[in-house]
Order: sequence, then structure tokens, then C-alpha cells
Amino acid sequence: MSVLEPKLSEISAADFFYRNRSLAGFDNPVRATYTVIRELVENSLDAAEERNVPPKIMISLSFLRDRKTGGNLYRIIVRDNGVGLGSEEIPKAFGRVFVSSKYRLIQSRGTFGLGGTMALLYGQITTHRPFRVISARARSTITEVMMKIDIKKNEPVVLEKKNLGTANNPFTVVESYFEGDYGKARRKIVDYLRQTAIVTPYADIIFLDPDGVLYFFPRSTDEMPPRPKEALYHPKGVDLELLHRLLQRSRANTLKGFLKTNFQRVGDKTAAEVLKLARLPENLNPRKLGDEEIRALYYAIRSYDRFIAPDYTVLSPLSERLFEEGIKKELQPDFVRAVQRPPSVYGGHPFIVETAIAYGGRIRPTGEIQLYRFANRIPLLYDAASDVSYHVVKNINWSLYGIKSLEEEPIALFFHIASTKIPFKTVGKEFIANVPEVAHEVEAGFRACARELKLYLSKVRRRALIAKKAFLFRKFYEIIAENIAELTGSRPSVEILLERAFKDVMSGDVDVDEGGSEEKDS
Amino acid sequence: MSMLMKEEVKKRIVELAKKVGEDIEKGDFPKILYPPNSKTNIRFLEERGYIFNPQNFSKIIGDRVKSLRTLAGVLYGFSRSLDHLENGLTMTKRDFYYMHKIEKFKGTLFPREQRETDARIVLMELILSMPREAFSITSDPRGWIYGDIELVDRSGRRIRADQVGEMGYSVPPRPENIEFKRIGVKAVIAVEKVGPAKNMIELNIPEDERIGIAILQGQASRSMRRFLRMLSDEGVPIAILTDLSPWSLRIAATVIYNSINSAHIDGLAVPDAKFIGIMTEDVDVGFFKDYRFALEPLTPMDYKAAEDNRFLPNLQGEIWQRENEWFLKNKLKAELEIFKAMSPSAKELRELYVEYLRIKLDEHLGIGIHSS
Repeated sequence: MSVLEPKLSEISAADFFYRNRSLAGFDNPVRATYTVIRELVENSLDAAEERNVPPKIMISLSFLRDRKTGGNLYRIIVRDNGVGLGSEEIPKAFGRVFVSSKYRLIQSRGTFGLGGTMALLYGQITTHRPFRVISARARSTITEVMMKIDIKKNEPVVLEKKNLGTANNPFTVVESYFEGDYGKARRKIVDYLRQTAIVTPYADIIFLDPDGVLYFFPRSTDEMPPRPKEALYHPKGVDLELLHRLLQRSRANTLKGFLKTNFQRVGDKTAAEVLKLARLPENLNPRKLGDEEIRALYYAIRSYDRFIAPDYTVLSPLSERLFEEGIKKELQPDFVRAVQRPPSVYGGHPFIVETAIAYGGRIRPTGEIQLYRFANRIPLLYDAASDVSYHVVKNINWSLYGIKSLEEEPIALFFHIASTKIPFKTVGKEFIANVPEVAHEVEAGFRACARELKLYLSKVRRRALIAKKAFLFRKFYEIIAENIAELTGSRPSVEILLERAFKDVMSGDVDVDEGGSEEKDS
Repeated sequence: MSMLMKEEVKKRIVELAKKVGEDIEKGDFPKILYPPNSKTNIRFLEERGYIFNPQNFSKIIGDRVKSLRTLAGVLYGFSRSLDHLENGLTMTKRDFYYMHKIEKFKGTLFPREQRETDARIVLMELILSMPREAFSITSDPRGWIYGDIELVDRSGRRIRADQVGEMGYSVPPRPENIEFKRIGVKAVIAVEKVGPAKNMIELNIPEDERIGIAILQGQASRSMRRFLRMLSDEGVPIAILTDLSPWSLRIAATVIYNSINSAHIDGLAVPDAKFIGIMTEDVDVGFFKDYRFALEPLTPMDYKAAEDNRFLPNLQGEIWQRENEWFLKNKLKAELEIFKAMSPSAKELRELYVEYLRIKLDEHLGIGIHSS
């Protein structure tokens, strides 16, 4: 029996993206406009943070009607103060789409791990125009490169390269054309930038939009969260394919050595126990394992339950202080409280949840739950109602914390998850799956914030009630005195009595009852 | 009498204000004591109707916002009352309500609805132990009396109640001062509905039979009840003629016994008044027995009223309950307009009215008419 082999042709990563661009957030001009900006901004934020300086990012978007196609052509220019690139690095960094196969673990920002290259590729696909990169490392030559990406070969094509002198400080400018629709994307983009400003209070973000409107989100602090460390994988955090790849590129000569050098917190004893469980000899060559043996190793790792918990130092949460700082900066609330939960783990992946609640100030009731979500310091703007945090928020009885309605009160909720693997539910990467470990942390975080909110609200409300009561006491006694004067010809002095009444109210001897309600006197 | 009453009202109000003022000066939370018109303070006696018999007292103390509002409202109410009283002006409940809808009362005494200020009027009555009319709050007049009755009212004019228009003399809001000069009627029949009462007048029945017709126009107003009581005190027999319905039982009983709401006001019950019809026996075996087809079905509201009637203190008498059970059983009612179903001719209608009244006045009051 012969079976006709289907004709398979290899495609490059760039080609794969070209064919599947909707997966990466480029499905229509509106979404694409948002995604282009987002990818480039996140690239820039990462670049500046790598240099350990507060990011300063300028975005300029302008509209040009394409004379040939009549399409909606936009030009985007993004400038950052990141590490910058040398003359040789520019084509490599922007001219090739990487399908990342990371062998080490680090919390990174880019949603798809592909950075701005996707955005530039999208521009090239929709306009057939090259893009321009100008960049320099510190105290080095400034290089301007005009280039394209060869989609079939996934290779940079340099059209023009210029030396523009020397720079003191490093920077990168990217200029590209793409077809988009800013009018419909505007709100999303501004929301995105504002939320980015919340979660990155140490960044200056300036955006000049096609209508000539300048949005400026200045930083309010120079303090930055510590850089995440790089670490080895935790055994529980790898899947079969990754294990396979790790084995193939291993430089260890024995399987035991492989386990000890490729995974965090695996020593002699643990490695021996795992291999015993897998019924594999310790001295096998890791690069020469058969499928059967790889599977045996994988299932042994899966079932072994005495690994030390994953290393949390790879995570880079924002910190309670900075989270509160960002919220204060953008929303100027009367109350804000952020809580960082202790590290936790799901399926071998470490994560840290941070929550915050803000009340009053520039927050206004909208008739909807105001829930800001962030994953690895990126705002999530779509599908809020599907997010684990939304479910948690919906299931909390907020009246316990002095909130009658989240929708009708000036309250905003914030949720940040930092993890080496964010548990996104779908390829769209817009909401976090309902993972029980995550849900538990989110709930504990929100409840901790809410307890503080309750204290604040009851203090504020009690103060307001007392003030109202004092006011009403004076008002009513004035009415009484006035009418007594009219009836008897002499007006009693109410001051002694009011003084006494206020003393009682302040000392809490007298109940603070609601003023102005109807008397029961019939 | 009027001047004395006015002085007494003034004295009580000023005393109250003085006491409150003294408390305030001393730095004490002022306090007003009053007997609430709650169940424990109201008794019911078949022969006298509702009696206000204060056993328990309530306090209004100015130590919290809620009661302070009441206190301020009461004092404001009294100061306005006295102002009106001294200037010979009256106000209605609606006026009183509007006197609180003042810019400077926003957030304090400004009422949400009239019920608030109406309740305060009752409270003022309880505090002073005086009816609202004494402190110049009057209701819109409702009710007329027609017949050979001569009286002098506050206007000082001598009035004959069958010579002041086709409906007779409109009973004023404060009948207290009326002085009867001559009463030429054998009895007064208080008729629930305006239409049948007017017909009786138009058919000359008051003149021919020497009876008075009091037109209640629904539930009898306080002033009408007071006026009937004054006639009764003059020795005039009072008969009550209503529809045969659950509501009409209440109308009749309120005239005879007064109501819980105004139980704290003396002189509103007319215990000697007699309910003469329409009664269930009139429909079952009596005057209307051949006209059952002219009865109306009870509405759900009527039926509900009949169910509630089982528990009203002033309808606990055997006869009232027997009448009421008839509604629950038959789910029917009769209206005074039934006379028109018996005969559409004016001459016959007159005979039917006179015949019915003759039977009923004889049976319930022992009074004979139609001697001519």
C-alpha cells in the first residue's frame, strides 16, 4: 500500500507571519494601527530598561493619502533612548523574523516575543515601501539604514546605509509606512498609552497623533523596578518539545549531568531520583536518546513531586510603591492601595500577582466595572470580561468593603501579573485564563486592597456624616430659635446646646443617624 | 367662645415654645411630650364610638437629626398657625405643605411629599389636644345641608338651609361656631351620593315630608360629621342612607363612631345616628327584592374592602358583620341609583323614594312621615 505524500514546502518565519498575520493582531486596519504602535513602544521600553535608564519614547503618527492606491497610508516614527544598535546590528535586529526558541528563562515584555519587526513587516506588506532605522550605541557612530525584509528567505535587504556622525547618548529611531485606520483606533491607542503610563510611571511617553493632538504622559519618578534575572528552566515548566530541544543542544555527557546543568535547583540527589523513576541509566548520552527514552524522562519529571519550588528572582514585578505611583500620576485618586502577593507557581511557572484599588479623584463612575489589567507590565485592553481577574472581581461581595456598586462608584481596580509564562487563554493574548492558582492570588490581593479601602471609606463617610449632622443640628436649632422668637418674643441662645451636641457626636456617644429622613409622627 | 378658644390656643402654643426655649438656654436637649394616636391610646365603645384615652406618651427630643426635624417642623407649624389665627386667615393642608416648600428650608424642613406635613398636622393636634381647625388649618368644605333649618354662622348672617341655593347650605370648615335658631325638620337624612340626594330635593321631598337632607358626597368630611353631631345634640334624629357596598358600611360607621385617624378629636362621632339602608334585607326580601337584576358585581377592590371590613374595630357589631358577610357571599352591591331602575318616571320615582323613606324612618327611628 502506498500513500501519496502530501507536498510539503518549508516556509520562512517571515512567510509564516505574512500568511497568519491575524494571529499577531494585524487582522484589520484598525487593530493593526493599534498593534503597530504597541509593538514598537514595547520594543522601545525594553531597550531603555536594558540600559537601566528611565525610558523616553516619542511617537509620531501622520496621515498621507497614498496617491497610487488611494489607501489610508500612515507614517510612524518612534524614537527611544534605549541601548541602540551598531552599524552591523541594525539589519540583523530588524531584518529577520525570529521564531524564538529560548533555552533560558527571563521575563520579557513583548507580547509575541517578536518585537517591532512584525510591525515593520506589516508595513512592508501593506505598502511595499522600505523602512528606515537610525541608531547609535553610546559614544558611537550613528548609522542610518534604509531596508526591507526578504519574506521568502527571511533575510534583511539593505537598500542604503549612511554614517551620520557620532552620538553621545544611545538612541534608536524607526520610521515605517503602513496602511491603517487611526480614527477608529484612536481611543484604544490613547487608552493603551495611558495604561502604559500607569504601569511604567518612570517613563516619559509623548505621542503626536495625525490630527496634531499631542499626548504627553510625563514620568513622575526615576525609580525603576529591578531588572529581571535570567535563570534556567524549572523542570516542571518544560513541555516535551522543549525537553527534546534542550537534550539535543546539551553539552553534558551524561543524562545526570544534563539534568543538573539545564534545570534550576536540580542537584545530584534529585537528578538520580528522577532518572531512577524514569528507569534510565545516569550515564546515557543526552544527545542520543530515543523517542521512547525522551518520553520516559518527560513523564518521570512530570510525576516527580520533590523538586524545589521555582526560582522567583527571574520575575520582575512592579512593586507596590511604583504601582501606586503610576495610578496616582494618571488618575489622581483620593485613595490608592497596591498589594504585592508573595510569589506562587502554576504548572512549573513562577508568577507574582499585584493588585491595586483606587477611589475618587479623577476616577468617575462609568456604569461599568473599571478594571485595568497588565501582564508583564503590558496593558491588556481587549476581552476584559473573559479575564480571570474579572471573574474574581465579580464574585467578591463588595458591600463587605463599603462599596454598593462597582459600576456606579468612582472606583478602579488594577491587576498585574508577572510571570515567565503568562497563562493567556487564546492566541490573541488579551486575557488571562482562569488558572486556580492565579485566581486565588488575585482574590487575596483584591481583598487585601479592599480592606484598606473599607477603612478609608468608613473614615471618610463618618467624617462626612458628622459634618452633615453638625450642619443640620445648627440649621434646625436656628429654625427652632427663630420660631420661638416669633412666638414668645425672645430668641434663645443655641450655642451652649450646640457645643454639647457636637461634643456628644465627636465622642461617638450619639449615633450618627442619617439626616433629613422622614419622621414617624402620625 | 371663639375669642376664648383663640386665647386658649395661643396660650398653649406660647407655653410650649417657652418651655422649649428654656431647655435650649439651659443647654438641655428640648423635649415635647404628647399622647400618640396609637392603638393603645384608642378604645372603642359601641355606644360612643372611638374614644381617645391616653395611657402612653411619646417624646420628641432634639438630640438627633430625625427628631430635631420634627421638633423644628412643629414649632414652625405653630408659629405659622398663630400668625394665621391672629390675622383671621385659614390654611388648608395643601397650603401648609406649600408653606414648607421654601428656598431656605432646602435640606431641612423642605418636604418630599404632602404626607410629611399632613402627618405633622396630626402631631400638632395631639400635642395641643385640639383639632386643627382650632389653629386655623381647615379642610376644603365638603357637604351640604338642605331643609328647614335656620342658623347663624361665623359670617353673622341668619341663614335658612332650604333658601340658599339648590343644594342647600354648604357646611363650612369650622362649624363649631354655628348657632341653630330654629329647626323645623323631623329628621335629617345623610345621603352618601349627590345625585339621589339632589333628586329628593328636586322632587320637593324635604318640604313635603319636613325632613332635612345632608349631602355627604362620599366619605363624610370632618366638618360634616361635626355638623351632624351638633344637630344630633340639638335632638334631631339622624338617618344615614348609603349604597349597599363594603365602602358604604365604612361611610356609615364613620359617621356613627368616628374613625381611628381622627379618634383623638372629640365631637366627631354621632352615636345616635342610625344606618337605615340600603341593607341586605332590602335586596333579599324587602323593598328591592324584585330588582336583583339591577345589582352590580363587586370589583376586586370592593371585595378586598369587604375582607378588610372583617377586622375594623368599628364594624365588629353583629349587624355590620352580617351585612358585610353578604358581600363576600354574593359578590354583589346595590347603588342608590337603583331607584331609577325601578321607575324612569319622575312621579313614580317620587313615590318610590317617599315609600322607602317612610318604611325605613319608621323602622329605625320610629318617625312617621307621609302624613299628607
